[in-house]
Amino acid sequence: MIELKNASKTYRPLFGRSVTAVVDFSLDIAEGEVLGIAGPNGAGKSTLLSLLLGYLKPTSGTVLIRGMDPRAFIEKNGIGYLSELMSINPNWKAEDALTRFATLAAVPPAEIPVRVNAVIEELGIGEHRDKKIKALSKGNLQRLGVAQSLLRDEQIVILDEPTHGLDPVWTQRFRAIVEGLRQPGRTIIIASHNLDELQRLADRVAIIDRGRLQRLVQTGYDQATDTGGKYRLSIAAGTHRVREFLPAAVDTGEGEFELSVGSVVELNAALSRLIAGGVLIAAVMPARSVLEQQFREAVGEQT
Amino acid sequence: MAQNLTRYAYWHFRDFVRERGLALIITSSLLGFTVVAPMRAMLGANIGETDAKRILILALPQVVFIAAFIALNGIVSTDRKLGYYRFLFSKPVSIPAYYTQYFIVSVVGFLAVFAFLFGVFALVIRPFNPLGALAFCTLVYLSFGGIAFLVSSLFRYDWPILAGIYLGSALVNGFWGLETGWKLFIRNILPPLHQLSPNDLVNLGTVDTKAVVWLLGYSAICFVAGLIVLWKRPIG
Repeated sequence: MIELKNASKTYRPLFGRSVTAVVDFSLDIAEGEVLGIAGPNGAGKSTLLSLLLGYLKPTSGTVLIRGMDPRAFIEKNGIGYLSELMSINPNWKAEDALTRFATLAAVPPAEIPVRVNAVIEELGIGEHRDKKIKALSKGNLQRLGVAQSLLRDEQIVILDEPTHGLDPVWTQRFRAIVEGLRQPGRTIIIASHNLDELQRLADRVAIIDRGRLQRLVQTGYDQATDTGGKYRLSIAAGTHRVREFLPAAVDTGEGEFELSVGSVVELNAALSRLIAGGVLIAAVMPARSVLEQQFREAVGEQT
Repeated sequence: MAQNLTRYAYWHFRDFVRERGLALIITSSLLGFTVVAPMRAMLGANIGETDAKRILILALPQVVFIAAFIALNGIVSTDRKLGYYRFLFSKPVSIPAYYTQYFIVSVVGFLAVFAFLFGVFALVIRPFNPLGALAFCTLVYLSFGGIAFLVSSLFRYDWPILAGIYLGSALVNGFWGLETGWKLFIRNILPPLHQLSPNDLVNLGTVDTKAVVWLLGYSAICFVAGLIVLWKRPIG
């Protein structure tokens, strides 16, 4: 569906040093896939998305969507896109903005009010529909941005920092919206700093740093849990006996311990020893998700 | 042009009226007033048709060039500068077609503003046939429009460059009107706005065809160059 082949992008200002924001980036994104993009600030995520949208052209290499140049594809089909920078004319009213975007998105005229009302309802911005963009809070503006990306059933949806500025309730609802968008023919790309969000939503996460694709991590429940690593144990009773059964466990205070294990089997064996010894376990959590661990390794900060 | 974009013309027109229409009316009224008020005071209340046309011929160049500058600057660059392009062009629209439509809609808005101002002039001074004056406004807009479109497609901060070109053109044509060689070359690549005068249009309803062809041709070349820039160069 989307193919990046050795794509690089170098910014060459008139004055000053050239900056290569994306370096030799190759990746195939399949139909029906939800791909996450993670990376530290300045890693090249925004440039990468701009290449996918055809707002920038690669200095070398190719970017193709269904075999077409991205702009040609978008001019023909459109794309659902939420920009990290919510750049909408501040003097437009919220509902007018959605009507405009629906018009440009080629929603049939008779359906425009229906679609606009539907996304307003879905994103809960009904009470703000007559407000000007400049009067909206960060969270409501973000919801408006998400709303405009859902006006039409696009084959490709690109969401850049979609939960930025959303409260926990709307962050949760946003996850449900993305799950609802999942379709065999639709490709969804989510760029986010929120690794937990990517872990939950994406099938794969591309970790990029210094413009390069550092790792491509498969996510999903099995992958996330059937692995070794550090786990956090919260102990309800018998704290003083934990080290007796698990000498390697590190006491992190307030009844919590950190335990490094080689596999889930090893973890369960350790837990069995604790339980048999009369220790009451309140909770067991991965100290860091697999994705977080991979991310830290990929960007150079060892766990 | 795609149907979705054609339907968007309503919003383009609304944007023009809200963002530039009011500014055009206020600025043009103020500029016009500085010419019209002293003339009216000098000529008295009963102004004949000839005098009314004379006032108009004096006022039009003062007002219309500045108004065209206000109407045209930032036509592309504002969207680039403020990032509005990000949402707009994720929709199935061609970037050159979008701005071509906005340019066309702006001509209509520009003429609507001047039709209104000529109505005020007719009330305050004397009723007159506005067709010649509106033709002059159209010619100024179209003549200036090509270079404004090109500069706006090329640069994010287009208005100082546009003002420089406009001023440069006026100065070069004023000082080097009879020069040859490289000075003539400089004169030729700047917009030939000096060739526009409202005299014949307002008085006789005629126009110097050669001058108009030269002006519109120059503007059309610049406009097409602007479209090529938008087509070939990424907007981000």
